[in-house]
Amino acid sequence: MNTIKQNFKPWFAVLSACFILLSCSDRFDDREGQLNADDLDYSDTDNMIQALVGAYNIIATRGWEEPLLLSVRGDDVNAGGLGDQQPFTDTDNFIYDQNYWMYNSLWNVHYGDIVNLNTEIELINNFKDLATPEDAQTADQYIAEITVLRAWLHFNLARVFQDVFIIETTQPDGEIANGVATKDEVMQYIITQMDAAIPLLPNLRPNERTDIPGGVTRFTAMAIKAMAQLELQDYTGVASTTGEIINSGKFSLYDDFYGLFKKPGELSNESLFELQFSDFGNSTGDSFYHLLAPFGPQGWTPARENASGGWGFYEPSLKFIKFMLDRGETTRLESSVLFTDRGIAELQTDPNYATLPSFVSNTTRDGDVINDYARALFASGKHYLPSVQLTEGRNDYGGGKNMIVIRYAEILLMYAEAVTRGGTPNGISADQAVNLIRTRANMPTVTGVTSEDVMEEKFAELALEWGIRYYDMIRLDNYTELSYDGRTFTADDEYLPYPQAQVDALPLGGTNSNQ
Amino acid sequence: MNLTRSILLFLLFSYPIILFGQDNLTITGTVIDDKGLPLPGASIVLKNGTTGTQTDFDGNYTLANIPNNSTLVYSYIGFSPKEITVDGNTTIDVTLLPDTQNLDEVVVVGYGTQKKADLTGSIVSVSTEEIEKTISANPVQSLQGKVAGVQIVSPGTPGASPTVRIRGLGTFSNATSLLYVVDGMFYSNIDFLNPNDIKSMNILKDASSSAIYGVRAANGVIIIETKSGSKNRKPQIEYNGYTGIQRAQNVLKMANAEQFTTMALESGSSADAQFILNAMQRYGRSRVNPNIPDVNTDWYDEIMRDGIIQNHSLSVTGGTENVSYSTGINYFTQEGLLDMKNKYERFNIRSKLDVDVTDNLKIGVNTVFSNATQYAPENSAWFKAYFAVPILPVFDAQNTEATPNSYANARALGYRGTQNPFPDMAYNENRLKIRKLLANFYAETDLIPEKLTFKTTYNLDFSALEERYVNLPYNMGFGDERRSSINRQQNNFFNQIWDNTLTYTDKIGEDHNITLLAGASYRDEEANRFGATGSDIAGIDYETSWYLNFADPLTFNNNVNESNSRIYGQSYFGRLSYNFKDRYLVYGTFRADRSSKFTQEQWGYFPSVGLGWVVSQEPFLQESNFLDFFKLRASWGRLGNDNVPASSGANTITNTTVDLGDTPVTGVTATSTFTDLTWEVVEELDFGFNLTTLNSRLSLDADYYIRDTENAIMPVYIPIANVTVNRNSGVIRNSGIEVAASWSDNINEDFSYSIGANITTVKNETISLEDERGYIDSGSAEFRQRTLVGEPLYAFYGYQTTGVYQNQAEIDNDPVAQNVIAEGQNIEPGYFKYRDANGDGFINDEDRMVLGSFLPKFTYGGNIGLNYKQFGFTMDFYGQTGNKILNRKRGEVIFTNDTNMDADLAINRWHGEGTSNSYPSSAGLRNSWNQRLSNFWVEDGDFFRIQNVQLSYTLKGDQLKGKFPDFKFTLTAERPLTLFSYNGFNPEVSDGVDRQTYPVPAIYTFGVNVKL
Repeated sequence: MNTIKQNFKPWFAVLSACFILLSCSDRFDDREGQLNADDLDYSDTDNMIQALVGAYNIIATRGWEEPLLLSVRGDDVNAGGLGDQQPFTDTDNFIYDQNYWMYNSLWNVHYGDIVNLNTEIELINNFKDLATPEDAQTADQYIAEITVLRAWLHFNLARVFQDVFIIETTQPDGEIANGVATKDEVMQYIITQMDAAIPLLPNLRPNERTDIPGGVTRFTAMAIKAMAQLELQDYTGVASTTGEIINSGKFSLYDDFYGLFKKPGELSNESLFELQFSDFGNSTGDSFYHLLAPFGPQGWTPARENASGGWGFYEPSLKFIKFMLDRGETTRLESSVLFTDRGIAELQTDPNYATLPSFVSNTTRDGDVINDYARALFASGKHYLPSVQLTEGRNDYGGGKNMIVIRYAEILLMYAEAVTRGGTPNGISADQAVNLIRTRANMPTVTGVTSEDVMEEKFAELALEWGIRYYDMIRLDNYTELSYDGRTFTADDEYLPYPQAQVDALPLGGTNSNQ
Repeated sequence: MNLTRSILLFLLFSYPIILFGQDNLTITGTVIDDKGLPLPGASIVLKNGTTGTQTDFDGNYTLANIPNNSTLVYSYIGFSPKEITVDGNTTIDVTLLPDTQNLDEVVVVGYGTQKKADLTGSIVSVSTEEIEKTISANPVQSLQGKVAGVQIVSPGTPGASPTVRIRGLGTFSNATSLLYVVDGMFYSNIDFLNPNDIKSMNILKDASSSAIYGVRAANGVIIIETKSGSKNRKPQIEYNGYTGIQRAQNVLKMANAEQFTTMALESGSSADAQFILNAMQRYGRSRVNPNIPDVNTDWYDEIMRDGIIQNHSLSVTGGTENVSYSTGINYFTQEGLLDMKNKYERFNIRSKLDVDVTDNLKIGVNTVFSNATQYAPENSAWFKAYFAVPILPVFDAQNTEATPNSYANARALGYRGTQNPFPDMAYNENRLKIRKLLANFYAETDLIPEKLTFKTTYNLDFSALEERYVNLPYNMGFGDERRSSINRQQNNFFNQIWDNTLTYTDKIGEDHNITLLAGASYRDEEANRFGATGSDIAGIDYETSWYLNFADPLTFNNNVNESNSRIYGQSYFGRLSYNFKDRYLVYGTFRADRSSKFTQEQWGYFPSVGLGWVVSQEPFLQESNFLDFFKLRASWGRLGNDNVPASSGANTITNTTVDLGDTPVTGVTATSTFTDLTWEVVEELDFGFNLTTLNSRLSLDADYYIRDTENAIMPVYIPIANVTVNRNSGVIRNSGIEVAASWSDNINEDFSYSIGANITTVKNETISLEDERGYIDSGSAEFRQRTLVGEPLYAFYGYQTTGVYQNQAEIDNDPVAQNVIAEGQNIEPGYFKYRDANGDGFINDEDRMVLGSFLPKFTYGGNIGLNYKQFGFTMDFYGQTGNKILNRKRGEVIFTNDTNMDADLAINRWHGEGTSNSYPSSAGLRNSWNQRLSNFWVEDGDFFRIQNVQLSYTLKGDQLKGKFPDFKFTLTAERPLTLFSYNGFNPEVSDGVDRQTYPVPAIYTFGVNVKL
């Protein structure tokens, strides 16, 4: 009896230990430090806009290599000299390497963002399920905006890789199994998507929006639709869609061509789609930048001290500069090219260009001096922000400068091209459209413009922007223009090969047309 | 009742039982150990009788009523027993010698102890001498080369912990850290322990031994006991310390200004030639060779220095009748080789107390408090020192814009970056304050005396890591300017474990020995990380204002973050250990574990069994003198690895900010995939034997194991979504042989020696994986590592070179080269020839193959020990073969090709027919054709090293005729010599990618040990 009493306490301790262990069980389902998507309060539609804002974050966070790779192959621009990133230079020379990381990155980041945009649509749909009819309408508008952003990514992919997947879900296994769509199917898909989105979107110029300043409007959707129609060479369609934008009367060209690509030209009345970056005028703290250094000159003496230079990866071609000089271009050439002394000397080796206009100088209008550097002769003026426009205390090259994706000038020229190729004019004439452009550029007006005239005008106006020139040339099978400076372009150079990593992972049949 | 019971217990405890016999002699004497210290509590019994006693506090004993011609047996745990015939002597003093082959030796296993002879698994103990001999802050370092099957990759950074792998690499995730059980508490890192405080370190290598730790055991378990006092022992004061110097060894020779200039000019790049001219304009021309600039900077030499290392420990141990104690303090400091504020300092306080509260209740408290400060190196300096051009000086007086120091900037010469490593070193200070507290409390009571024991233990580990990274402002000229900023991180960990165990030990009849253990355990692990960064620190010139409240408040925006995780674990476990006549051994464990890390199956079950046959105990062998001990054993077990990232189990939300109309606007993004993981499971089979023979002089232990990780967590790539999601989707196998042999002998009283050797083979293989592509890539696209079925994890993957094109004719006659040229690739003499592995006539992706793994296939270690009188000499060596190192320093040429390179590359370059058939030309080095990952960039990592050489001299207090303390003086050389062919200065690279690996120094120390 005593023994039992003696031993009672330890036994009790053992039993209570086990009991306490069991009673802790409910803690095992908690996940501390994590916010689940399901835990958002979807009944609070005031928060719905956060998902849309997330979508604008996704579209604006482009890798530095994406704009470069999208546009390097045109006859307007070179990769800069050999050295760092040699396969990038090879790409400029139409020698493609399936293993080059930039190809894979363009594919991955574009598709990854398409899926990310789809998750934002899912989030908005969750709100919509619990929303009032009025809020549901807002939800539809937001989803339409995201659809436009998503269309632009699909558009880029099809332009670069030709036949690509159309992805509308967050779990794309089924869409992958269905295989790739042809480039034409992708363009047709974009047109259908844009047609559905247009009525849901605000009838405003992007800079008129107050909820999302610079956000997508129905004119952005129309512009992307017109670009897809242009790829399909549906000139009637292009004329009609761009005509609608023109006839809205909402858009006008920004007076100062040079300033359009600088701080003052941000979110102008010319802008239909613009990626926005800023340090919000603060010398420290958070900034939201795109890395513009690859576009910049490797060596410079900035007017504002300590401003950083660039990498010299994006060099306007001699062909383009000579073309501009031949035309007697002034503001457009000055705004498009940063000259080095070495570059000027190289130009002057050609006796036709022995004397050059005074603006061809290694000192920019804003006093930045572009020094000679090994990699390239020239740098892009359209991606250049004068150092004096940098926020005090900020040194990144082009820090906080926006990137205009689609501007009214392109719409006017698409319209003019479509009309000269047989599209029905539904407003102004092709001459009028081209002359609007030329007048702003201080060029004499012309009459009786032909398709060739329009293409030259596009070259002069839109050079260095998003590969517009390159995609025009391959659309028109104009390989002669692309065979410049010792390059030879053939039909099988039009599209980049699928990245090897994607061939390994996806049912791409191992080849696209270029392998 | 109580009194009776106490007396009974006392009798049970006091072994041997005293009984009265016939009246003969009374014998007195002292029992001491080989070091002359008294052994309190040693037992003296009459052979074949029941009379006996124990020595007292000073080792003295008195034994009455002993027949004149009888034999007495003297014994003490851990010492060889001695039999002495009385033969009329009334004073018998006995010296007992430690017994290394003692069959009663006890080994600490999980939640208890076991006789070494009864082990059926593979457990290796490392002695305190081995641990103390190694010059290192971290006790694990001492295992290098000493334990078969354990790979240690030493870090060079002061305060950093070595990479430890037991039996290969069994997980793809980062969850490679093994479990350290320090006095019952779980750790993944024991950087806070002073090697002098460790009493025993047992490495549980096979699954059967470690399965009692279930879910945490998959990467291997090391059980560590800290020193305790012993009862009835006078206080012993011990000082242990050393001071020494550390020096970089095998410093990589870089191309000098002349070699660099040659390479640059041979590259054919006009820009590079211009940079050389710029350097000559700026710094003048060398008088020796006017075609090179008058600057010749050896960057490694500039950034390195010798460092001091010191360790001082003071401890007191002892005990009274009911209490034993051990307490001590320790100070360790080590300077880094990098010439910046780069050092590690640690101060430890420790105490351990065990108290018999009543006859039936024991309690104990154990605490270790460690306060360490690490000034971490700016590792980018190592990398910059490799590529910084030798024609750039450290300082450049012409760079007047540079402040506060006029460091030279490579942009002045036209290079793309600043290159100079000095700003990294001078303008950064990385301070980590590491404070760790280990505390535990236990209470133990017998529920059935001598048979059933209940023990409850509460352990806690509180660790606070306070990190402060200070970026001082500077201007390097040329637009390279930095503002001041401070990044603060606070990491707090609070981990608790509460264990309750019941242990039942019994002997049924003469032959059946049985031990049963049942237990329950509860774990709670909380980690919190808080971080903030602020810029523009007011008063940055004064360390007293290096706090965030002096930062510009605007700069905190979006630079403050916090994350938290809390994981609960719950376990039940049991063990059965049975032996029949000490001959046939059966061992089994089972553990059920639950972890909140996982969202689906939270419970995991981990069984193990072991069988042993002690052949030498068989009657037919017992008469043989040849075999002292021979045991065959086999074991099987399953282990879990939950040391993987917790599963989210659902899509999660992240906040993001975007610019809309020059205003920052916050939105949300959501993930499209999520993890839903379960444990990795390791299943292992082990066969082995232990053999002792030739009068216990030779011992041989061998094991063969196959260790499979199932449900291995692999990062599965989800195409299109462009995310990688961890899934339990692979099987990894490690298999190999471990053999350890040792021989020790005493030639005479004055001279003894020992020799030991061990070898290990590890075959690491991916058995299966689930990825759409059939492989898992790691590394970067340029330096691809690929995990393929049938190959080791993270194998280097690239092309095989077959030589270098020597002339144009060779290119013209090579059909493969012609095909490649037709595709637009330029090939010149001095370019690599690649093996067209698939024979399609082209060199493309399909020709890539596995080039090797960073895991050594074979490692070996050994030691020699000599003792002559008071002198001792030991030497340890270690080596490994079969592993590869990616020379990522050289590989940097892919990204920036106008920088410096090592002398080997510059000297051996192809520069004309017949000059090299394995190195490309200078121009070739810059061409992407030659920059593909090939065996040129992946080098052999084999090395052989003299690990430790120690010479000691012992001076006994009693030899000095008085109450002098015992002295021991030591001279130690740690890693004095390393031989290898790799072109780097350290062949120990834990992941095989050598980009900025901190060099491991050679250390020379003088040490003193004093015992009072």
